Amino acid sequence: MSVLEARALTYRAEDRPLVEDASFRLEPGGLTMLIGPNGSGKSTLLRLALGLLAPDAGETLIDGANVRGLSPTARARKAAYLPQTHPLAWPMPVRDVIALGRFAYGAAPGRLSAKDAAAVERAIDACRLAGFEDRAADTLSGGELARVHLARALAAETPLLVADEPVAALDPRYQHEVAQLFAAAAHAGRAVLTVVHDLTLAARYADRLIWMKDGRIIADGSVADTMTAERLAEVFGIEAEVTPNGSRVSLTVAGPAR
Amino acid sequence: MTVRANALLTLALIAAILLALLLGSVPLSPGRILSALGLQGNPGDILVIWQIRLPRALAAALVGAALGMSGAALQGLLRNPLAEPGILGVSATAALFATFVLFFGLAGAGPLILPLAAIAGALAATLVVAVAALRTRSAVTLILVGIGLSSFSAALMALLMNLAPNPFTLADMINWTLGTVANRSFADLAYAAPFLAVGVGILLATRRGLAALALGEEAAEGVGLDLRRQRLAVILGAGLATGAAVSLAGAIGFVGIVAPHLVRPFVGYDPARLLVPSALLGALVLVLADIGVRLLPTDSELRLGVVAALIGAPIFVWIAARGRLVE
Repeated sequence: MSVLEARALTYRAEDRPLVEDASFRLEPGGLTMLIGPNGSGKSTLLRLALGLLAPDAGETLIDGANVRGLSPTARARKAAYLPQTHPLAWPMPVRDVIALGRFAYGAAPGRLSAKDAAAVERAIDACRLAGFEDRAADTLSGGELARVHLARALAAETPLLVADEPVAALDPRYQHEVAQLFAAAAHAGRAVLTVVHDLTLAARYADRLIWMKDGRIIADGSVADTMTAERLAEVFGIEAEVTPNGSRVSLTVAGPAR
Repeated sequence: MTVRANALLTLALIAAILLALLLGSVPLSPGRILSALGLQGNPGDILVIWQIRLPRALAAALVGAALGMSGAALQGLLRNPLAEPGILGVSATAALFATFVLFFGLAGAGPLILPLAAIAGALAATLVVAVAALRTRSAVTLILVGIGLSSFSAALMALLMNLAPNPFTLADMINWTLGTVANRSFADLAYAAPFLAVGVGILLATRRGLAALALGEEAAEGVGLDLRRQRLAVILGAGLATGAAVSLAGAIGFVGIVAPHLVRPFVGYDPARLLVPSALLGALVLVLADIGVRLLPTDSELRLGVVAALIGAPIFVWIAARGRLVE
């Protein structure tokens, strides 16, 4: 059974379709990156897939169950969600922020069961945050904060991890660090779905790319199969040179397409 | 840390209440107070303690606790350190509704009319503010809506005062606007306390959700929070607690902002663990402020709300000026 199955999801706002007839499945152990230009419906599709938004048509199954029928807690135990990062409202210590990832299990900062505490420790290790536990969240760099948010999502130890632009606004080094952490989470057996803007990052780390344009999924497959110069011109309006590089491709962007 | 802070605050609160019993126009020794508390000794002492000083101190404590906890909960919900029943116009609207009842002589219909009116006002205002806050997500807009609501309630209050049929009604209304716990009886406490307790209970039940909201609303939903239920519960809890507080003491501002702000660093900025110590500190602040009110040698006694504002408003400005506003 697929971890997640999106069936013909459609969502309209003021009669304008934001997502139209989008279907895909996610299996365990893969890093799937959702790419497409601004306004192509990526974030909306993530929210539909998680059941945080009610679709106008179609449905999402998580572990075979319709996600809109799950309680928020039951859903959060199946799927961890990392929205576009906003600053934290309060300068809480890193450990407490990560502990919030255990919310669906009844935990709260300072009130963790042995099982919760162990999951938090594993997430801290996975994101290499040892030594940061007592730091206030407002003293962290952008890259450190991104790792804290990821650790918070990992602490839920869900079969599915969904993230919306987790590397946006990070320096290149941090982008790669965080992308590697996502890849590691996928290879540890999770199904990971994330929106990414940086195409070289997508070409470098994705196991699978889902391409979106104008609310529709227009291609879905491995990097080598789907990342072509024609498609980059069609979807992103850029002129790029794509050369095969092992099982992946190398990408050189020349500029906007004429 | 939190446990120790709570224990210290509880001890300080008990000490403050005992101090409030000790001080007054009739000098009583601690021994006489203790025997009066146990309903022993001089009947005059028992009267002073049980009819005047104890209900007054307890009223100050209950009002401070309700406002402190409501402030902490609203700040957690709206993720804004300046959210507070007074700033957001909740207290003013509750006071307006209560005054309205007094103005039209409806309060005589039953002892529950006044608390119910104040609570209805508080709930209405909390709802307006929360809707505005959730729609705009801007801290500045939120404060502006609160200011607008406060001003509107103040204007309607002024209108009622303007039309007051006699000086007694006018004096009554002024008491509501300024806020005081003078001359409260155990009966007054008994009518407000159940609402206050239910409000506080609801707020305590929303604690974990407040902590999750530190992540932002989307992420809080992502970790499994039922956002709708959380919002409704906080609005209901804060409305009940604030309304009950206003029905007891009138509009008293700034307690709900000062208490959580001072406590926050001691609970690791956790919005959940903030609630109880904020309530305790709010209670402590108002009991002490009320002692101050009684001791100040002024011709006519200062109103508690006036003193609270004199202390609280500069702290509000200080918090706002330090600019840790969440946008």
